Amino acid sequence: MIRFPGSNADLDVVWVIRKVAGVNASLVWHKEFRHGIYDAIVLPGGFSYGDWLRAGAIAARSEVMDEVGEDVLNGVPVLGICNGFQILVESGILPGALLPNTSGRFICGWVKLRLLNPRGPWLKLAQHGLVVDMPIAHGEGRYYVDEEPINRPMIKYFDTNPNGSSYDIAGVASESGLVLGLMPHPERAAEQILVPDDRTPGGLIIWRSIASALKEGW
Amino acid sequence: MPLTTEELSEIKMILGREPTRAELSMFEAQWSEHCSYKSSRYYLRLLPTTNSNVLIGPGRDAPAVKAFDRFALVFKIESHNHPSAVDPYNGAATGIGGIVRDIMTLGAKPIALLDLLFLGEPSNHYANWLIRGVVKGISDYGNRIGVPVVAGMIWFDKSYNTYPLVNVACVGIVEVSKLVNSVPEAGDLIVVAGNSTGRDGIFGSSFASKSLGSDELSNISAVQVGNPLMEKLLIDAITEATELGLIKYMKDLGGGGLATALSELAADHNLGAVVILDSLHLREGNMSPEEILVSESQERMMLIVASDRLNDLGAVLKRYDLEYSVIGYLSSDGLIKVYYRGELVANVPAKELAKPRIRLWDIEIPEEYRSLGRELRIPEVNDLSHALRKVLSSPNVVSKEWVYSQYDYEVGIRTVIKPGAGDAAVLRLMEVSEYAGIAVKGDGNPRYVYLNPFMGAANAVGECYRNLISVGSKPVAIVDELNAGNPEKPTHYWYFTQMVKGVAWMAQELKLPVVGGKVSFYNEDLSNGSQVRPVTTIVGVGLIDDVRKSVTYSLKNDGDYVIVVGVTCPELGGSEYIYRCFGLEAGEIPLPRPSSEILNGTYVSKLIDLGYALAVHDVDVGGIAAAISEMCVKGMKGVMIDLSKVPARGCSRFDEIMFSESQARYLVEVRRDCLGKALELARDLNVEVGVLGEVHGDELAIRYGDLDLVRVGINELREIYDNTLERLIEG
Repeated sequence: MIRFPGSNADLDVVWVIRKVAGVNASLVWHKEFRHGIYDAIVLPGGFSYGDWLRAGAIAARSEVMDEVGEDVLNGVPVLGICNGFQILVESGILPGALLPNTSGRFICGWVKLRLLNPRGPWLKLAQHGLVVDMPIAHGEGRYYVDEEPINRPMIKYFDTNPNGSSYDIAGVASESGLVLGLMPHPERAAEQILVPDDRTPGGLIIWRSIASALKEGW
Repeated sequence: MPLTTEELSEIKMILGREPTRAELSMFEAQWSEHCSYKSSRYYLRLLPTTNSNVLIGPGRDAPAVKAFDRFALVFKIESHNHPSAVDPYNGAATGIGGIVRDIMTLGAKPIALLDLLFLGEPSNHYANWLIRGVVKGISDYGNRIGVPVVAGMIWFDKSYNTYPLVNVACVGIVEVSKLVNSVPEAGDLIVVAGNSTGRDGIFGSSFASKSLGSDELSNISAVQVGNPLMEKLLIDAITEATELGLIKYMKDLGGGGLATALSELAADHNLGAVVILDSLHLREGNMSPEEILVSESQERMMLIVASDRLNDLGAVLKRYDLEYSVIGYLSSDGLIKVYYRGELVANVPAKELAKPRIRLWDIEIPEEYRSLGRELRIPEVNDLSHALRKVLSSPNVVSKEWVYSQYDYEVGIRTVIKPGAGDAAVLRLMEVSEYAGIAVKGDGNPRYVYLNPFMGAANAVGECYRNLISVGSKPVAIVDELNAGNPEKPTHYWYFTQMVKGVAWMAQELKLPVVGGKVSFYNEDLSNGSQVRPVTTIVGVGLIDDVRKSVTYSLKNDGDYVIVVGVTCPELGGSEYIYRCFGLEAGEIPLPRPSSEILNGTYVSKLIDLGYALAVHDVDVGGIAAAISEMCVKGMKGVMIDLSKVPARGCSRFDEIMFSESQARYLVEVRRDCLGKALELARDLNVEVGVLGEVHGDELAIRYGDLDLVRVGINELREIYDNTLERLIEG
């Protein structure tokens, strides 16, 4: 788990990885991260460097992302949540761009998502078309892409598109599924106690997948 | 400038000479109302502040209450009314920043924020701009520092069209053994960490201690600008330093800046301080010593550290790229000596600087208050469905989702009951145990206070108590914010004194210590100098042993029963109903009923604990009719209720039963198979309850015996409840 100045969901993800996924996790300050050490990397939500310029723009150009890029080449799974997704997109590891929500406002709330073409370590246990609940919380979550990406894992908003994203895209992965980025927060939908009355803990599929993938491959 | 002629001669007496410019600035900042509470201290002594759970009461930057043996909850409320009136975005944002730093001074980790907003009419262009700015300021700052805004309240009134009231509160948690509460000693070093000191917020506290004139929009230099990234780094670094036990004592550099922090710290511990201003990291090179002393630049903390721990502390701060300066040390002579460029620019006794003489102002009951109509003449109403739609569509009743959806209320993965789902927010405390938690809520009703400041303030305490009970918590303590007018005007000061007394009385009755709070004076309309409606806000915290038992207010299952707990009286004075339907703001407001609050609260707590209750909603603004509508909308379930089953006293009309705002009442969804046991428990405790009806279908039907009074589909109720506020604000 890489912590940037301004990351704020880092401890939440560490908690869930340890407690729900049952996998060991360390919080690593961005300056101290080196490639070749960890089995998987998470870039957490928050506002790295205060989101000055554009969300994720400064973190994407910081030295730690060269180290992360190195790990990706060597097949290390990377998950970017919210601001982490913005960083992956800004650094060019994932396609597209993330723009301010069409409403112009920050939006926090639960949404329904559909998982498409699941494969790779983060969606190993999911079936194509699975619908899950997770909350979103972002001001710049409108995914923009000219043409709909094909033949890669994707996560789409299911009933309503809260921010105006192209093709209802909430998250997108590299073709192999090794690198996944998404705006919703799977760590906030991993424990029943935090789930509203009419929802289910839809983030579990990601944490169970990575736990299984790290133990048994994907 | 606020220093009076008498105060000036008093300062000369204290010093035995003419004050220097730097000294004068320090006195002016510290003796401002904002920092010294000179006009309120006398009355604040009426508040009950202690019991066996209170670890640290009023006096520090924040109080602490014991929770679950090993832990302390640190929570406090703050107002940022003046700055928000001038610059709503930065004013509200820096209010969040300041209250979070207050919590951090005891070494607590901030885990929740609340906002209590009193805003103008959305249809008024200027008020609309203020509303958007305030909410965006809180959203941008709170979201960036990663502390969830989980609860609060919003009230709309034209009185706030040019001048909003922005109250914010923060809750933190720390192990009792890690509380930063050592006794500072002579020789300890004074470190200022965080933001550099600049010219922003010069005399912000003095600015907040007088009324805003219509030209005061140019007073923008007195408003501070926030840097949430810096605040987030401060939170992370100070959490780490506290964990390592490196800091002996902390103060936020807030209102009054260094001058206030130094004088309070020294005076509280019979110490003095030697400060070399040249060593402080500054944003601009050519600042005068008086500017440095009273600057209110944000995101700065004053840390007191033993000299042998300085290197370790420095290492932590550097890791987070935080700038810091060692600006001096504590001394034993009780004097604050400030040096700048080799000169002694101030030499002041800390005690005298810290506490100016108490000021008592004249009190006069306003003519406007005397002439308020106490007798209500309410026209006959035939269409009660229409009346219900009017009440439910009031901006004071409808869903506040437009506001809270702009806040990241989930960060921290603690939020069990989220905004809009229950009467209070519920957070789990993983550091205590898997299912331990707390409830937090804030309340206040300016219309009640306008009609009766004593009872209005008392009712805010009662409502907060009920909201904490409703979700299944045990209320432990409250903090209060008294928003008032100009204390120098006897008619304004009267509201303040009545409000304090109301809080003091009700808090004592409900055995809730008022562990901290804030007073905000000089809240006056920009255009005409009239006081904006004064209001007391109360923020309370309750403890929950097992958050799995906490309940929301959405109806859950067809076939369950809805019961009302408590007695309904014909109390329509000051109600949302007579305001919305007849434009009336008159009559006597509902009486505070402390003994019923305790009895009925105990009963509801038991229903929740025993698992009989699946949904609980306190009855307040809008009465039973609004409360049942909200329960239907949230659960998307219908219900038929019979008003003849409501335990009522002296009600001669249907609208009195439907819309009365009598205190100490709850609506509860009781599991079908538990009704008998629930009623038996009510008999045992001598609590009055009425079984109103069964959860069923997709419409809300309100009857009196065989007489149909209201029938509205749940979808229509939902449309009104969910979408009205966005329509009003976004147009």
